[in-house]
Amino acid sequence: MSLQQTPTPMMPSPQGATKRPKGIKYFIKKCGEQKALLLMSVPFLIWLFIFRYVPLAGWAMAFQDFRPARPLLEQEWAGFKHFIFLFTDPRFFEVLRNTLAMSLINLVLGFVTAIGLAILLNELRNLAFKRVVQTISYMPHFLSWVVAAGLVSAVLSVESGIINIILNNLGIIKNNIMWLGVGEYFWGIIGAADVWKNVGWNTIIYLAAITMIDTEQYEAAEIDGASRLQRIWYITLPGMKPVIIILLIMNLGYILESGFEAQYLLMNPMNMDFAENLDIFVLRYGINMGNFSLATAAGIFKTVVSFIFLFSANHIAKRMGEARLF
Amino acid sequence: MNSFLSKLAGKRRGVDDLIFDTLNVIFMIFLCIVMLYPMVNTLAVSFNEATDTVRGGIYLFPREFTFYNYQHVFGESQLLHAGMISVLRTVIGTAVSVFCTAMVAYTISRKDFVLKKFVTIAFVLTMYLNGGLIPTYLLMRELSLIGTFWIYIIPGLIGVFNLIVVRSFIEGLPETIFESARIDGAGEFTQFFKIALPLCLPVIATVSLFVAVGQWNQWFDVFLYNSSRPELSTLQYELMKILQNSNAAVSGGSAASALAASQSGAIETVTPQAVRAAMTIIVSVPIICVYPFLQKYFVKGLTLGGVKG
Amino acid sequence: MFKRSIVLLGLSLSLVLAACSNNDSSTGNNSSNTNDSGETPEVVTYHFFNAATAGRDVNTNETTLGAMFEEATGVNFRMEHLVGDINQRIGVMVASGDYPDVIVPDDTIDTLLDAKALIPLNDLLEEHGQNILAAYDEYLHMFTQDDGNIYYIPFGATVNEFQPNPNIDQGAFWIQRGILKEYGFPEINTLDEYLEIITRYAAENPEIDGMRTIPFTGLTYDWRFFAFSNAPNHLAGYPNDGGVMIDMETHEATVYADSEYTKEWLKSLNDLNADGLLDQEMFVMNYDEYLAKLSSGRVLGFFDYGWQFGNARNALRDAGNPDREFMALPIVFDGVEQDQYLDPPSFTSNRGVGITVNAENPERIIQFFDHIIQEEQQKKIMWGLEGEHYTVDEDGRYFQTEEQIELVQNQQFREEFGMTTFEWNWPRLNGSFENGNAVEPRRQPEVALATYRDADREYLDAYGISTFAELFADPQERPWYPAWSANIEQGSPHAIFEERANELTRRHYARIVLAEPANFEKEWNDFVEAYRKLDVEAYENFFTDVVQARVRGEW
Repeated sequence: MSLQQTPTPMMPSPQGATKRPKGIKYFIKKCGEQKALLLMSVPFLIWLFIFRYVPLAGWAMAFQDFRPARPLLEQEWAGFKHFIFLFTDPRFFEVLRNTLAMSLINLVLGFVTAIGLAILLNELRNLAFKRVVQTISYMPHFLSWVVAAGLVSAVLSVESGIINIILNNLGIIKNNIMWLGVGEYFWGIIGAADVWKNVGWNTIIYLAAITMIDTEQYEAAEIDGASRLQRIWYITLPGMKPVIIILLIMNLGYILESGFEAQYLLMNPMNMDFAENLDIFVLRYGINMGNFSLATAAGIFKTVVSFIFLFSANHIAKRMGEARLF
Repeated sequence: MNSFLSKLAGKRRGVDDLIFDTLNVIFMIFLCIVMLYPMVNTLAVSFNEATDTVRGGIYLFPREFTFYNYQHVFGESQLLHAGMISVLRTVIGTAVSVFCTAMVAYTISRKDFVLKKFVTIAFVLTMYLNGGLIPTYLLMRELSLIGTFWIYIIPGLIGVFNLIVVRSFIEGLPETIFESARIDGAGEFTQFFKIALPLCLPVIATVSLFVAVGQWNQWFDVFLYNSSRPELSTLQYELMKILQNSNAAVSGGSAASALAASQSGAIETVTPQAVRAAMTIIVSVPIICVYPFLQKYFVKGLTLGGVKG
Repeated sequence: MFKRSIVLLGLSLSLVLAACSNNDSSTGNNSSNTNDSGETPEVVTYHFFNAATAGRDVNTNETTLGAMFEEATGVNFRMEHLVGDINQRIGVMVASGDYPDVIVPDDTIDTLLDAKALIPLNDLLEEHGQNILAAYDEYLHMFTQDDGNIYYIPFGATVNEFQPNPNIDQGAFWIQRGILKEYGFPEINTLDEYLEIITRYAAENPEIDGMRTIPFTGLTYDWRFFAFSNAPNHLAGYPNDGGVMIDMETHEATVYADSEYTKEWLKSLNDLNADGLLDQEMFVMNYDEYLAKLSSGRVLGFFDYGWQFGNARNALRDAGNPDREFMALPIVFDGVEQDQYLDPPSFTSNRGVGITVNAENPERIIQFFDHIIQEEQQKKIMWGLEGEHYTVDEDGRYFQTEEQIELVQNQQFREEFGMTTFEWNWPRLNGSFENGNAVEPRRQPEVALATYRDADREYLDAYGISTFAELFADPQERPWYPAWSANIEQGSPHAIFEERANELTRRHYARIVLAEPANFEKEWNDFVEAYRKLDVEAYENFFTDVVQARVRGEW
C-alpha cells in the first residue's frame, strides 16, 4: 500500500540526531541569538513562578496542624500525622480502588468515544448537517452535574426509567433492574454518564486536529482507490495521533482525579462502597471539617502519583518514537 | 425518509459508501435525540410552574406553563451589571489568554530554542501542583489583586493544557514554511504572527472556546476573592446566589406558611429545581449562540497546500 | 481586522479600569450622609456577613424596617450572604484578616474565636445594650466564654411564656389522612398500630390513581439520611438531642445507633420489605424523587421532619384532594409511656452574631442591636405593622385576616419589608411578648387556626383537637436541651467519630433492612461489630459531661 508511506504533516520530525554542544558559553551565545524567543517566553516564566510555584510554600501545611489564625511558620508541626490518617483509614484502599477504577474507565471510554465521534462527524458529507450534529452533541456539557445527575437518576429509575422500559420491551430483562442500587454497576454508570455529558465537547479538539490534515492526501488516496475505512485508518487516525498521544499522557497524570460531583450526587447507601473516591473522602474529612492540613496532604499524595504516571507515560512515548510531552 | 437520509448523506460512490453513510446518518440522528433531550427537558422545567414540577413527570413540554421562574431570576436588579462583567471577563480574558498561550506555545515549538525543555517542563508540572486555597489567597492579597477585575484575568493567564495543545499543532506545521520565511528575513515575531497564528486558526478557535467557556462559567474566583465587591460580581455568581436563596426559602418555609398558601390557592413560588432550570438556560444560551461563529474554523477542512508554495 | 480588535480590546480595558477605579473610591466603608438637623449622628454603613443562611444581598436601609431603624439609630448594614463553602470562605478570611464588621459565622465560630477575630462585648453591652442584657438575662452564662467574656450574641432568647408550635414542622410519623377517615378516625399510637392500618389500606387499595400504592417510604439521600436514622430515637420517646439519648434520671448519654430501639425499627422495616410493602427505591432515590413520590398521592406513610417536605405539601394541596394530604402522628414503640416529638424550649448557645476587630465604633452596632430587640421593634419584625399586617381583637390578641395572611406570607413582601433580613441572625426574642402574644405569628394559635381549611377542620374535629400539635404530648423539661449544641470542635476526634458513625449507619442500615429475613440477625451483628470498633464510649462520655454540666448550670 502506497498510502502507508505518505508522511503526515503532524508527525514530529526525528529529534536528537544532531549532537548538542553543551556548556555555559554555548548557552549564553545561544541566548544572544534567540533574544526574540526569550522575550516571548521569559516574562511568562516569571508569571508562572509567582502564580504557580510560590503558593507551593503552602505544602508546609500538610506537616502542621494548620489553624488559619496563625502565620504559616508559627503553626504547630505535626510531622506525618495527616498522611498517616489518610493511609491508615480503614476505607483508604477501597477509596483508592474506586478512584483508579472510575478514572481509568472514564479515560478509556472518553478517548475512544470522542475519537470515534470525531471521525464519524468528519465522514458526514453534508456540511450543514455536520455542524448541527456537532452543536447538539456538545450541549449536555453545559448542564451542571446537579441537573445531569437528576436526569441520569430518572433514566435509570426502576419504575419509570426509559432504560428499564426499553430492555423490558426488547425482552432482554424480565424484572426491572435497580441500576443505582447495585454497587457493581456504579462505575459503568459514571462512565456512561460522563461520555454522554462530555463526548461532544471532547470531540472539538480532535475535529481541530483533523482539519490540520492536508486534504491533498485524501485526494491522492481516492485516486488510489482506497476505501472509506482505509482512508480513516491510514490518513485520519495517523493525522490525529500526535494530539491523541499528547492528550493521553497529560490525562494519565490526572489518574487520581476521577471527578467528584457525579459520584457525590449519584451516591446512595446501597452503592457507596463503589462510589466514594479520594475527592469525596477529602471533602468529608478535610474541607468539611476545616482541616486544611489533611486536604493538603492528600493533594501532595496526588501530585506524587501524577508525576509517576506522567514521567512513565512520557518515557514510554519517547521509547516508542511517538510524540511526547517534553 | 430514505431520500431525506440520502440527502443528509450527500453524494456517494459505491454500495459500501451508501451503507456506511446511511448508518452514520442514522447514528447521528439517534445521537442528536439523546444529546438534545436534557436541554429540552430543562427548558420544559424552566417554563413549568415550580410547585407542579415537584410532582415530577415533566419530559418534553411544560405542564403548567409560566414565566414566573424567569421573572423571579430576572427580578434580581444586579443581574444586568453582573452579566456585563461576565461578558467583559470572557472577552478580555479569552483574548489575553489565547494570545499569551499561543506566543509561549510558539517558543516551545521551536526545536533549537535553548529553554525549550525547561519552559515546557516548568509549565507541565504545574498541571499537577496545587499550593492550596489559603496560600493562593494570601499571594493574591500580597499582589493586591483581591477586589479587582484583574483577579479574573491574571492568575489564569495561561492554561497549560491549552499551551501544550497549541504547541503540538504548531509542531505539526511543515518546517519548510518557517524556513522559507527565515530566508526572506522574517524574525521570530513575524513568523509567529504571520505564519503560526494564521495557520493554526482551528486550534486557536478551539482553545478560545475552551478559555471562553471556562471564563463564562467561573464563579469560584468571584466567591473567594470578590464576594464583598458586588460591583465586580458575575452572572454565574449572582445566579448561584438566587439558587441558594431558593434553597433557603424551602427549608425555612414553615408548616404555617405552607398551610397559608392553601387559602388563596395560587401564590406563585419557586423551588431550587425550577430556579436551576431557568439558570441553566440563561447561562447556556449565549454560549450556544456564539458557538457557530467559532465552529466554522474546526468543522471545515483547511488546505495547507496553498500556503506551502 | 486584527487592528480593529486591538483597538476594541484597548477600549474595553480602559472602560474596566475606569469602572474599577471609580468603584474603589465609592465603596469605602462608613460612607457618610449627614442629617440636616445635626443632632442625629452621622449615618454609618457596616458590612454584615452572614455565613449561616442564604438571602438577598441588600443594604438594610432598602427595606422598610431597615429604613426605620436607620432613622432611629443612624446605622445601616450592607448584607452579604455566603454563597460557596463556609470553611473555605472563613478559612481565607481568618488567614488574611480581611474581616467584615459584623459576622454570623455559624459553625465556624471556633475558628474565629481562636483567631481572636471577635471583640469582647461585655463593656459595650453594659454601656449601650441594657435591652439586650435584659432580654438575655437568664441565658448570659450559657454563652459567656471561659475567659469571662461575651464574644457573640445567640438568637432567640425565650422571654415570658414559651410558645409551642401549633403545627408540626419537626419529626413525626406521617400518614395519608384519608386512611384515618376510611377507618373511622382511630387513635393510632404505637408503631404496630401504625403499620397495621397502613398494611390494611394497602391491601385494600393496591393502586391509587392508576399507580402502584407505596405503603411506606423514607428519605435517605445524602445528609438528609438523619431523617431515617433518627426515627428510633423518637419511637423510644425521646426528643431530637442529636446522636444520643439522655437519661432523664442519671443524665447519662447513650448512642442509639446500635441500640435495641434501632434494631426494632429496622426489624419492622425488614418485615415490611419481606411483605413487599416497603418502597424498593427507599435507599436509592434522591431528594427530588422523594418529593415527587410524596406529591403523587400514592405514599401512605413515612417518617420525616416537617420542614423537609414543604414543597411536596404545597403540591399536594394544589392538587385539590385533601384526603391525600398527610397528617402527623406521635408514634412510639409499644410500652413507651409518652411521645416526645415536640421540641422542649431550647437555646442554641454556640451560634450567634459577633462584631469583628475591623469594626470602627462598635458601640454604634450594639446600639442598633439594642434598638431592634425592644418589644416594639420585634413586633414590627415578626408581625409587621398593626392594622396593616395584623389585627388586634378586643382581648388584645393578635391575629391575621385572610388578606393579611396572604400579604404577609408573600415572599416578595417579606423581602421588601425586611422581615427576611431581620427575623433571624440578629439578637432577637422568642416565646411571647409581655401582653401574652407569641413573638412569632406561626406560633400564635389564632394565626394557625385561621389557616385551616374546612377539610383540615374535619380531621381536627374528629380527633377533638384544635391544632395538629395537640395530638402530641407536651415536652418534658430538659434543661440541657438540645445536647447537639455541645461544642464539638471541627476536626476533633468527636467530629471524626460522627462522620465515621454516619458513614457506617448509612451503609449498614440499608443492608439490614433489605436483607432476607433469615439474614437479618447476621447483618445486624455485622453492623454492631463495626460500629463498636469506633470509640463510642469517649463520645458518650463527652455528652454525659456536657449534659451534667448544663444541668448544674455550667454551660
